[in-house]
Amino acid sequence: MLILGIESATQQVGVSIGGHEGVIATFEVARGRRHAEILTPAIEFVCRQADVELGELGCVAVDVGPGLFTGMRVGLAAGKALAQALKIPMIGISSLDLLAFPCRHTDRVVVPAIDARKGEVFWAMYRQVPGGVQQVSAPAVGPVDELVADLLARSQDALCVGDGAERYREEILEGFHCEISGPVHPSPGALVQLAHARALREEWVRPGEIEPIYLRAPDAQINWAIRESRP
Amino acid sequence: MQMLLRASSLSDTHAIASVLAGLARVGDIIVLAGEMGAGKTAFAQGFGRALGVTEAITSPTFTLVHSYPCPGKVTLHHADLYRLDSTTDVDELALPELAEFDGIVLVEWGDVAAAGFGDHLEVRLGRDDLDDEAEGPDDPLDEFGLDGSRLIEVQATGRSWAGRWDRVVHALEAYRC
Repeated sequence: MLILGIESATQQVGVSIGGHEGVIATFEVARGRRHAEILTPAIEFVCRQADVELGELGCVAVDVGPGLFTGMRVGLAAGKALAQALKIPMIGISSLDLLAFPCRHTDRVVVPAIDARKGEVFWAMYRQVPGGVQQVSAPAVGPVDELVADLLARSQDALCVGDGAERYREEILEGFHCEISGPVHPSPGALVQLAHARALREEWVRPGEIEPIYLRAPDAQINWAIRESRP
Repeated sequence: MQMLLRASSLSDTHAIASVLAGLARVGDIIVLAGEMGAGKTAFAQGFGRALGVTEAITSPTFTLVHSYPCPGKVTLHHADLYRLDSTTDVDELALPELAEFDGIVLVEWGDVAAAGFGDHLEVRLGRDDLDDEAEGPDDPLDEFGLDGSRLIEVQATGRSWAGRWDRVVHALEAYRC
């Protein structure tokens, strides 16, 4: 089965197609943050170059974040629209999983950190298991200090990846000795590979069931009571 | 960092808005506070015109965010939180992201969620009691008449405005109360 992967949770926008033969085509642009303008032409380009008709797709995989709200929205909306029109299922995968997966050959703890803006990062921790990686600490969001405290608490050899690790390289290294390298953005290729493994187990959902992971402060009601003029 | 201004007419409100537009940079979030009819949208119109927006700027109450391209690769985003009920709804508008990527963001009713915006400028428009006394309250419907006088309180939060505050004060000195 052919899977279309749409990745737009960070500044990068990427599209991949692949299946049992692995990833067969990929397109990525990491500059300019023009998700809405680039994504649909990119899907068309990748399909044409790989000689794949949209009707041949069996599943649409999307990066559901955490990451840029404005980026994710574009990817999720485009993915859902395609899947709905083609009447095919979807698979949603976290951006943190996508960053960790290409690092599955290291025996260190893999710590993807995505820039959450305003001095904060989204992060999680993963360990190598046969065939992939396994999450060993749940996704969190917080100031870079908290990530450093989390690394210190664990005190294991760590590899930090992602645009958050890149942006706050100095702060992280000042607090904890580790390596910062590897992928900066989640890759649509990893998305197709991980989604393919899930598709084999039919772990997919209907387009309407795909939800973004915002991982933000708990919801609170806006206090409009202070507004006497609001009806 | 705070100053109180008096705009004695709609054109003063537009002039104050255009001064602030001249000092605004990409990445700024400007909260517009004040009751219905206080002149938030009028302020946005003056602000947008100064940035070179040629389209008509209308209230985004029902569409949440309007975006206007300006000369020089800048986009003016005009948001309105009036219809929103929860902070998650506000988060989903991702206003800081819009500002970060070549944007300047005006947020009507933004004071209810300003804690999530980081550095920002708040412009609070209110009626001018002095003006009421002068003209008398004979027509209560006209207390927010379009061309009425307004008190405008400008308050800056954060480092990004601290560096510009002297210029803000200097440029708006003529309107200071």
